[in-house]
Amino acid sequence: MTRVLGIETSCDETAAAVVDDGRVTRSSVVASQADLHARYGGVVPEIASRAHVELIDDVVEQALVEAGTDLRSVDAVAAVHGPGLAGALIVGVSAAKALALATDRPYVAVNHHEAHLYAALLEDPALEPPLLTLVVSGGHTLLVAMHDHGRFSVVGRTVDDAAGEAFDKVARFLGLGYPGGPAIDRLAARGDPEAVPFTRPMLDDGDDFSFSGLKTAVVRHVRANPDADVADVAASFQAAVVDVLVTKLVRVAEREGFGTVVIGGGVAANSALRARVLDEAARRGLRAVVPALGLCTDNAAMVAAAAWWRLRRDGPTPLDAGVDPSLPLA
Amino acid sequence: MLLLGIDTATRRVGVVLASEHGLLARLELGGPPSTPPRHAEQLAPAIRHVTECAGVRLAHLSAVAVGTGPGMFTGLRVGVTTAKALAHALRVPVIPVPSLDLLAYPLRHSRALVVPAIDARRNECYFAFYRPVPGGVQRESDYLLGSIDDLVGELDARGEEKLLCGDAALAAAESLKEVDRVEIAGPAHAAPSLSALAELALARYEREEFTSPGEVLPIYLRKSDAEIAWERRSA
Ligand SMILES: [Zn+2]
Repeated sequence: MTRVLGIETSCDETAAAVVDDGRVTRSSVVASQADLHARYGGVVPEIASRAHVELIDDVVEQALVEAGTDLRSVDAVAAVHGPGLAGALIVGVSAAKALALATDRPYVAVNHHEAHLYAALLEDPALEPPLLTLVVSGGHTLLVAMHDHGRFSVVGRTVDDAAGEAFDKVARFLGLGYPGGPAIDRLAARGDPEAVPFTRPMLDDGDDFSFSGLKTAVVRHVRANPDADVADVAASFQAAVVDVLVTKLVRVAEREGFGTVVIGGGVAANSALRARVLDEAARRGLRAVVPALGLCTDNAAMVAAAAWWRLRRDGPTPLDAGVDPSLPLA
Repeated sequence: MLLLGIDTATRRVGVVLASEHGLLARLELGGPPSTPPRHAEQLAPAIRHVTECAGVRLAHLSAVAVGTGPGMFTGLRVGVTTAKALAHALRVPVIPVPSLDLLAYPLRHSRALVVPAIDARRNECYFAFYRPVPGGVQRESDYLLGSIDDLVGELDARGEEKLLCGDAALAAAESLKEVDRVEIAGPAHAAPSLSALAELALARYEREEFTSPGEVLPIYLRKSDAEIAWERRSA
């Protein structure tokens, strides 16, 4: 059995987790800084970096305690080294290297996107590639083919805003506050998703995504119809995003012969997206894996899981490896 | 007794190993001024190298000392996070020492007022005033942040002899030489002293003056731009 301590500090969550053999989560602790950033309407890198330094020790300790283990029983220490905010990534990487040094265990650097792909294997330990995964959050919109462990190809990506960014911008415009995803999800639940027929950007145009035009369409619609019901607008906007995401996910899966589709990332916590993926997959005889909310949003269990596979394949990461804020997946 | 010291407040990555008998090893890494600092890349290998060269094991450490700035934010975060994680793993205390103190201490035999200055970017520097006293230096001001002009103004306001040190003092040597009764210590005093870190931390270790790990944080002095803008808006 190989026990990995994973650390994630790429954005505004300070997280640590203990995972055995890349499949069994012993603990997963996430300290969210959302409150610190809310007044600024988005993540402030310098504030995030400072908070990580304050939180990381306690979060790691809590992850070990909740796992009923200690550092001596940990076989490797992993951290996300990109993509993400440089000053934030550096905190997790420094902590992981120091813990690895002190315990004489290997250090493993993990790609944040790759970690999101492994969340599904924690949700369903029997799952095996090939898988087609949609990773959607405030920072990323990626359609990734996972052919095998360590073999990924990016099938589609956003050409402008990330899906979560569109949620945040529309929420801000509608006066719903930050973060925008949960706010729109809640409001949309009592709106009519067919009230406003927003166009589906790039629906039949390749495997990439575009969301900035949709945000503009929402602004234009509300300005032209000042009396429009906000819940209807939110529900219609959400329906357009979900429609594009799921249509492309399912279409690529059928075209490329993937039997299993997976979603991950913060936007995968959206209830309409989750329901629609399950629904479409069932209708087409595909298997859908929709991980628990805590596995979709940024966490360190997925980091520890990805690290286990990476360690088996490539061995430890040298201690002189730095961070890469724009690290690509493949 | 075995102490590991780390200072990353400037571009320089500094690691020192010491015991009550003196220094066992010391490593200072820099890089060409035109390249970005590499704290995150250099620190962990430097610690491993120093312990291997000195023939000691991290498991035998009694304490970890760290320079807490003020200085480069990223460097400080790498140093402080590394020190705390090592101490956490090895179950030993962390001893924080402000990096300006580490610049001033080696000049304690001077008869002048000692003024270390660390680069704060944006044409500003961090500085403080220290009075040499028997056995060390006594800080006579807060840790300050200001432009070179602010520093010159503070120097002018004090009639006595002043001895400046630190990377910011060296960089601004031309304008500082204009000031009356100011001398600038050479490049050997550009970065916080690692022997000072070992000496000051060992003394505190012996007095059992420990800081709880939660309180060991970088000294920033400057808020984030977003906070400054927010406070201006809500004022
Ligand atoms: Zn993410």
